[in-house]
Amino acid sequence: MTGAQRSQLHHVRAAILGNRPDTSLSSTLYPVYVAVIAAGTYGVPATQELFRSIDATWLAANVQTPVGAAAAVTAAVLFLALVRLVGRVHGPVVPPLPYLEMVVASPMPRKVTLARNWRLSLGGSTIGGLLVGLVIGAGGAIANVAPPVVIMPTALGGCLLGVLVAEFWLGGQLQGQPQGQLPGHLPSQPQSLPLGFGRGSALVRRRRDALALLGITGLRRQSASNVTMGGAVLAGDLRTARLEAARPTTHARRVRLRAGRPLVVIARRDLLGLRRAPGTALYGLGFAAAGSAALMLSLVSPQTPTVAPLISLVLCHLGFGAWCEGLRLHADNSGTSRLLGLPYRDTALAHLAVPVLGWTLTTLVVGTGLTLTGPVTPAMLIWALGTGLLLAGTHLMAAFRGMPPAGVFGPQAGVPAMVFWYAKPVLATLIVGTATAAWAVRSPAPWSVFAWMLIATAGVVAWGLALVGKRDRRS
Amino acid sequence: MLGRRGATEAAARESSVHLLRASGVGKQIDEAVLLLPTDVELGIAQCVVLRGPNGCGKTTLLRILAGTVPPSQGEATLDGAPVDERHDLTRGAIAALIGAPATYRDLTLVDHLVLIDSTWGRRGQRADDRADEILELLEIDHLAERFPHELSSGQQQLFHLSMVLVRPSSILILDEPEQRLDTDKRNLLTRILLDRKAAGSSLLIACHDPAMTEALADTIIDIRPA
Repeated sequence: MTGAQRSQLHHVRAAILGNRPDTSLSSTLYPVYVAVIAAGTYGVPATQELFRSIDATWLAANVQTPVGAAAAVTAAVLFLALVRLVGRVHGPVVPPLPYLEMVVASPMPRKVTLARNWRLSLGGSTIGGLLVGLVIGAGGAIANVAPPVVIMPTALGGCLLGVLVAEFWLGGQLQGQPQGQLPGHLPSQPQSLPLGFGRGSALVRRRRDALALLGITGLRRQSASNVTMGGAVLAGDLRTARLEAARPTTHARRVRLRAGRPLVVIARRDLLGLRRAPGTALYGLGFAAAGSAALMLSLVSPQTPTVAPLISLVLCHLGFGAWCEGLRLHADNSGTSRLLGLPYRDTALAHLAVPVLGWTLTTLVVGTGLTLTGPVTPAMLIWALGTGLLLAGTHLMAAFRGMPPAGVFGPQAGVPAMVFWYAKPVLATLIVGTATAAWAVRSPAPWSVFAWMLIATAGVVAWGLALVGKRDRRS
Repeated sequence: MLGRRGATEAAARESSVHLLRASGVGKQIDEAVLLLPTDVELGIAQCVVLRGPNGCGKTTLLRILAGTVPPSQGEATLDGAPVDERHDLTRGAIAALIGAPATYRDLTLVDHLVLIDSTWGRRGQRADDRADEILELLEIDHLAERFPHELSSGQQQLFHLSMVLVRPSSILILDEPEQRLDTDKRNLLTRILLDRKAAGSSLLIACHDPAMTEALADTIIDIRPA
């Protein structure tokens, strides 16, 4: 940035602020301060307890091995891929709309006008990574599972991951721009993208080029979406937030829905929806396969830490949920004129056919593979198949929960009450799934525990159906 | 291909005829009066047009007669039984377009029509053919492979009408079906609705278009503002 550009930007900021004091530094540092306090107060003790709860033998046999390292690298790669997807919807460089219209749209170089937003995102991401690394290292050191010197590499690793997150995030934002705004229309700019997306020379140079390549239409869309999603989250309207985040479907328009019997055509509708959203279908497959495999493996030994089925059930919930878009769309449509010939509840149940079938097939394939290679028994495979019913019930709860009650917006309730209200379905998955899995692996009669899991699952499904009935009556 | 009259007659013929009646129905929420007590009787193959200024309660009356909103006073009945959208009899007889209907963002126009038609379990002619015919009837067959978010507001309205017309029904309840349509399309819609009436369907319509009202109405009810 030249001196003239710096001065021009300074004048613009002064004009925008008017007579108000410039609180940008304090408002930037405050979240960092809160994050540092939270990491020290809650993060380190929680990590320490986590490490203490894990059996040292299991840790040595499964984590501190080449396989464990490969799993960690795979998890990091998957995480970065997810960050890149997030960038397509909400990137790291999203200034407010007035700034976009008055400053970014002006002839000033875009890499100058957007530099501040980028620095904030990069800084936040790097500090976040550093804190995560410090928390993991400190927790491990205090719990005596690693020497204190481990804090150095974990902190450095965290920093590096933070920088990579920012770069992939920006890469996603560039890739998510409307067609015609990708590199190519600026002949003076080199056609290089952030890390992992092209050739190019130095990292900083590539990043500055990337900022210059961000188009006003894409920035405007993300900024407007930011406002809508922020309002939706504050109002507790996750439906609006979800629909805003989703990209409009345009794939496979020439593939027609085949006519059939009423329930069959609903299932075909959901399959066609997944065919038109291949990313979602694959994301669901990946998470469901990883989750079901992890769930079955967590049932192998009583030494397995309880956190293993917990994490695996989070993956299962996400994977199954990716296939439930038809169910969610049906719930979204309550209150509008009904045109389908099927009763509301029957339609909801028909929308569960595809996710349940997808779960069953995925679990059968993964489970058969793990059974043939040794660690998993057919009983564990049956357990994972039964978990599909639990997931169906909790996703019924999630799709038909409606809007939060007025009470969660009250001054006494606050954010925790709203988070709890929204998290009830996933909590149902985690509590029922983790408790029964942890019990079964330690019980001499695991089949009786399986029966208890099915009873709890029946309760969850009944809860979901009650919510369907409630929406049916309200619509 | 059955043509315009063929398609509308086929849809109307599959449902038996019904009598829809509102006796002194009104709607009030706390202190707010949405609809003053009103009487409506919709006979077989008749068209009743509701008129009145904005906010007089036309849409509320249509919602009550479609069975989606219960009245605060009076009674709305279909063949003598209370109208309730959750009952099979009501759903099977009444096709309503009151506000934008539910659409799936991942289905094209023709997919929507196939889905709706298939869920009614109709026999005979294939759902695919019926879907194509309705799109052709409304002159939006060239948009068959578009997604709902790719339509203009007028095209959206025609698409919403196609979703109501494709399903079997004996009573059509339409809230300002002419909105956002150009003159040609209003004339086309009038012809389609006249064909429906001739085929035995009953029509209950809130309408602000004098030409459409004149062409369609057997009875005109002016709703008094609350």
